[in-house]
Amino acid sequence: MKSGGAPRRLEGLAFVAPFLLLYGVVLIWPLLMGIGISFHRADLFGAREWIGLGNYATALADPVVHQAIGNTLLLALLIVPPLTALALLLALALNRATRGAAVFRGIFFSSSVLSVTIVTLIWRFILTPDAGLLAVAADALGREPLPFLSDQALVIPAIAITTIWWSLGFPIMLFLAGLQQVPADVYEAAALDRAGRWTTFRHITLPAIRRTLLLVVMLQTVGQLQLFGQAQLLTGGGPGGGSRTIVLAIFEVAFGRWELGYATALAEILFAMILVVTLLQYWLVTRREDAG
Amino acid sequence: MRWCGLLLLLLAGCAAPDQRPEIVVQRFFGECGVIHGGSTDVAAADTECGILTTLFNRFEAENPDIRLKVNVVAWPGYPQLAAQIAAGDPPDLVTMHQSVISDYQDRGLLEPMDGVLVEAGVDAATFTPAARAGVVKYGRVYAMPWDTIGRLFHINTRLMAQAGLMRDGKPVLPRSPDELLAQARQFKAATGKPYLVQAHVNAPDFHVALLYTYLLAQGDTIFPDARHVRLDTPAARQVVALFRQLHAEGLTTRNQDFPAATARFVQGGGGIFPVGTWMIGPYDAEAARPGSALYRSYAIAPFPRLWGQDAAFVDGHAWVMPRAARSRSERAAIARFLGFLARYNADWSRTGQLPAFQPVLETDSFRALPHRGDIVAIASTGTQLPEHVRRQSAIQGLIGEELEAAVTGIKPIDRALADAERRVNRLYAELP
Repeated sequence: MKSGGAPRRLEGLAFVAPFLLLYGVVLIWPLLMGIGISFHRADLFGAREWIGLGNYATALADPVVHQAIGNTLLLALLIVPPLTALALLLALALNRATRGAAVFRGIFFSSSVLSVTIVTLIWRFILTPDAGLLAVAADALGREPLPFLSDQALVIPAIAITTIWWSLGFPIMLFLAGLQQVPADVYEAAALDRAGRWTTFRHITLPAIRRTLLLVVMLQTVGQLQLFGQAQLLTGGGPGGGSRTIVLAIFEVAFGRWELGYATALAEILFAMILVVTLLQYWLVTRREDAG
Repeated sequence: MRWCGLLLLLLAGCAAPDQRPEIVVQRFFGECGVIHGGSTDVAAADTECGILTTLFNRFEAENPDIRLKVNVVAWPGYPQLAAQIAAGDPPDLVTMHQSVISDYQDRGLLEPMDGVLVEAGVDAATFTPAARAGVVKYGRVYAMPWDTIGRLFHINTRLMAQAGLMRDGKPVLPRSPDELLAQARQFKAATGKPYLVQAHVNAPDFHVALLYTYLLAQGDTIFPDARHVRLDTPAARQVVALFRQLHAEGLTTRNQDFPAATARFVQGGGGIFPVGTWMIGPYDAEAARPGSALYRSYAIAPFPRLWGQDAAFVDGHAWVMPRAARSRSERAAIARFLGFLARYNADWSRTGQLPAFQPVLETDSFRALPHRGDIVAIASTGTQLPEHVRRQSAIQGLIGEELEAAVTGIKPIDRALADAERRVNRLYAELP
């Protein structure tokens, strides 16, 4: 057994080598290049001048970046918990083998297949205070329509609602997959013990889908910290930068202002933020498991 | 049978490669292939998108020896262009605002076009003064101008009459900031509608054009040199304060983006829409349509003189050639395409934009187009930004964002102008 270990390891490496090579070329190498460029005053067309941590110092003192980081964190906070809770509730409701549940599963997943352009177009028709659906409803009730896309206090919730509507399908599917892994006999035992719905959910369902829950929260956090299309298309980051996210700021700096060095520094800051937040989430959940 | 199919497939793969020179043209102005996709009748086409699509169809029909590939990009398309140039794969011809040409010219990303225009039979001496100022940088021609864009007051004369602001069939326009406020209040009291229709959401260029115009009118130097902007000035503060006052008193529409503001004016939702020449064509069509709120009730006028002297900040569209290696036949194809476009500049002026060529401007057919007599002077007197002004597209976004915040009351005017100045100067400090 022992003598075959090395060749087997080589075989295994040979199998994963194509993926590792692709991963290295497409992800690791650009990441390292990005870190390198972030230490330069660089433009999009090749000019480079070494400035050390200059771009990072500028970013830390830039009020536009502070605002973008605040907006991004607030959006993640407004999107991830409600989206996770809503997806879990819908998955619980749809976790049955009936024709109606299958139809509703399809309906709830349908928004996820739309492109961000279509999603923002739909929500512009709903939110615009001039002739949008909500404006018409407000008019019918004799109230002034709310300027969802031009009021700094409303624009972030408006983008959060748009995103939740768009992103609901995938977490529902993940939760359904998780729920279908829970053995039916555990539920039968709970029923024999006359456990209530809440008790069953809290002591059987939730622990059983704990890993799925962690996956959903982590995927959504990573995804929402990179929110871009909705903000760019619905508001362009306005009003007054009130809905500018970090990725939108990176896009503007790189492709509008051509400041590639500064844009990559912002991208590295975002990368560090995502890494810290996801590792923190992972540590919080696994720490409890270890303690348990 | 199966072998026959395979043979056919192989033969199809062996088809002779297309030897025709290919030119890749990248443009904005929208996509309307469904309506104009097969049409070659340029005279019958309307709208910017329609006329340009029909022109391209006609060029292809008349020049079968050239392969024309068209990329339609969302306005203004500069992020895509920057990415294409950075990737070493730029198109051959691109629509570009004249105010943006310096960005690319300064970085050596555009080819001077003096030679190709001579080959195309296009005489640069025939450009209008405004067009010439837009495409000639440091003595060389960097683009073929396509038009001159001016900002105008588009006016609903029925509502103006209702407010008692018409005299001898012409709208009465203000001659000072105080008069503007007085007329706006009078208009709102009489009609119940806002005097101005404006886009305050996601429309940065809207306020920038107003600010530039009225700073130029007061003789302010906005860009004193290639690395500084001057916005935190008394002149700028009073311009922004006027528009802040209009917004605060509800004398202008609020919370609208550009499509909503455009629709609002068509629906008779306000008196004056201060927007560009490009809306003349569509609004003229509305004015001729019975049942429209603008039916026989549409007029235009240059921005009124509120401070200093008459001035108009103008821009324009142009065709530029990003720097790239091209064969002689490809250059000849580009020259032929530019010559073809130049011959149809009069048709383009039906959109409302002013022609870029002086001979077209002087034709009776152009002068016979509705309202053109009111604005023709802009092609001579309109002021472009100085040639040393770079990154205008990005700067317009930064200034516009701060102006939106000031006008809508999100930020105090002083702070917004100081922030705009700081942000633009920081951008300039980073330029190589």
